Amino acid sequence: MPDPLITRLKILIVETLRLEDVRPEDIPDDEPLIGSPRFGLDSIDALELVVRLEKEFGLKIGSSEESQRALASVAELAAYIRAHGADAGA
Amino acid sequence: MNPAADHFPAGIAACDCLTPLGDADATAAGLLAGRRALQLSPVLGADGGDLVPLALLGPMDETLPPRWLAALRGLVASIPADDWGSARRPVVITSSNFGVGSLHAFTRGRDPRHLLHGPPHACVEMLRREFGWGEQVQIFSLACVSAHLGLAHAARLLHAGFADRVLALSFDFVSPFVAGGFHSLKILNATLPAPYAARETGAIGLGDGAAFAVLTRDATPYRLASHTLHNEMYHFTGNRPDGAGFAAAATAIATAARGRRVWVKGHGTGTLDAGRLEAEALARAVPGAPLVSWKGSLGHTLGSCGLVELAVALASLRAGRIPGTVGGAAPSFTDTVALAPFAAAGYDGAILASNAFGGAHAALLLTHD
Amino acid sequence: MTDRFIHHLRVERPVAGEDPAAARARLGDKFPRPALRRMTHLGLLVGATLDGLGLGPEDALVYATTFAETRALEDYLASFPTPSPLLFQTSIHPSAVQQALIARQQPLGRFWPMSGRHRLVEHALLTVFMEPAARVILTGGEERGTWMLEHHLASDRAFAFALALTREPAGAMGRVSFEAGVGAETAATCPALDEFTDVLAGRQSLHWQGANGAWTLVWS
Repeated sequence: MPDPLITRLKILIVETLRLEDVRPEDIPDDEPLIGSPRFGLDSIDALELVVRLEKEFGLKIGSSEESQRALASVAELAAYIRAHGADAGA
Repeated sequence: MNPAADHFPAGIAACDCLTPLGDADATAAGLLAGRRALQLSPVLGADGGDLVPLALLGPMDETLPPRWLAALRGLVASIPADDWGSARRPVVITSSNFGVGSLHAFTRGRDPRHLLHGPPHACVEMLRREFGWGEQVQIFSLACVSAHLGLAHAARLLHAGFADRVLALSFDFVSPFVAGGFHSLKILNATLPAPYAARETGAIGLGDGAAFAVLTRDATPYRLASHTLHNEMYHFTGNRPDGAGFAAAATAIATAARGRRVWVKGHGTGTLDAGRLEAEALARAVPGAPLVSWKGSLGHTLGSCGLVELAVALASLRAGRIPGTVGGAAPSFTDTVALAPFAAAGYDGAILASNAFGGAHAALLLTHD
Repeated sequence: MTDRFIHHLRVERPVAGEDPAAARARLGDKFPRPALRRMTHLGLLVGATLDGLGLGPEDALVYATTFAETRALEDYLASFPTPSPLLFQTSIHPSAVQQALIARQQPLGRFWPMSGRHRLVEHALLTVFMEPAARVILTGGEERGTWMLEHHLASDRAFAFALALTREPAGAMGRVSFEAGVGAETAATCPALDEFTDVLAGRQSLHWQGANGAWTLVWS
């Protein structure tokens, strides 16, 4: 049974970063999200995602270093949201 | 990949700056005393938001006329009078942001008068009319190395015979537009900057700054001897991880400084990766040269930092003592980082370096007898 | 008399109303695919004119624009009170050139991004003439704005151009000259950036007086 939070995050990533050629289900749970040559995402994408995540889940990510840790993979991000977010919803 | 340096020496006939610590002499004295101009302030001004380190000349919300105009009037009043903006006395203006804060003010209050000086050309045209300058006012903007471009271009105008004296003016004033942007990059946060400190989290501060220099072909006690420019074009906000971009610029300016005993004023905003790469590149290129950054006190004055910090360097040389890295803390990335002030005696030059988004690097060699 | 010889010319004058999505579809093959999704209209147009030049660290590049990244500015302002880091970054001059060169990973030695209006072309050419680099690229352009256009803070048309200029006359397609201290035989003044682009596209000659001298653009 897929984790609904992880599913929601993958949809949000595709929408926020306008990944036209990528389906949410193409994004792996446990591989690096940022810096992976497969999707061409970089640190600016990470920060853009952070803005959306902060709005969506009531997060507060304080530094670029914390952003990198939270966005290590989709699974790591889901764990971070469950630990810190007000609106994880799942 | 070794960029050459410009060797178009120019005399500095006059130079001063304005920061929240005062003019160049007062700013240098404040830095020597270890004063921090940065204070925690709401990132969006009157609209609130997180507290971040800002060094402001006044509340940053844009006013009508713009809040920075009075500050510039005061600074420009101290520029030696001349036929500025004429064919033989051109003006070179640099900034990262010009009046962009006014565009944000317009979107909040819809007062169209804010738009009159929002874009760079309109902002400069307003200044040209305000100060009675002629039409030869040239504008350069490359983020945080903007002032260096202005100085290098001014030196070239003199060398090429297109001018007899050149006025270089640079300014950047913080606004919610700019502070909000840096805050979104997660590098402007609640932590005060500690340039070149080897710690877990990086942080910058932003500051208001403006400065001018009058450059001439005449012999003067202090001279801009060389300039170097390099653009990595690797990433908008990151540098080549191997430090090759920093090394290229540092090597070129160090070559120009060969035979001189120099100290180094680096960029040193307080970020980690760039700070480490910069410190290491400079330590390799100019072994043993003490490295300082003043952004831990003044904040990052963005496009104007190259000229603001040149003015402070000159004031420091006149005072005989170079301020250390205010806000810095041990351990530093390299043992060349000077946390405390040191005597200017024994040095006959200084390298002043700045870096910018897009992997832009700029440095100049300041010489004196 | 100072001469520089034109060895490359590319002009982009898209159809009126071309939007960034249409520009991406039209010009997408000139850029690495992962970079395309974040490129602005101005970035695509300027980048297209720089395509195929083989830019390197020995080259210099002068970039001229009056309004720069208009749409990114508009969109960034609209993103408050939660500012977008991507739009902030993209709105900062000289983003258009950086978008293209970062996408292609093309480092550059001297890069001179300029702004201005009435004398911009002249000031950009002066910068070219003072460059010691063997090859200097002069590029420029604008993109069409929306609400900023209504307030006369944006261009009403999108365009871009790039010239490669050297000191070598052999094989040149044209020449730009400046003679200091000489009056031009014309009352014409410095062309605006869009007029200059149209002149380049039509390979028209141009003469004007400015910077205490006479300017000439002629074609072989």
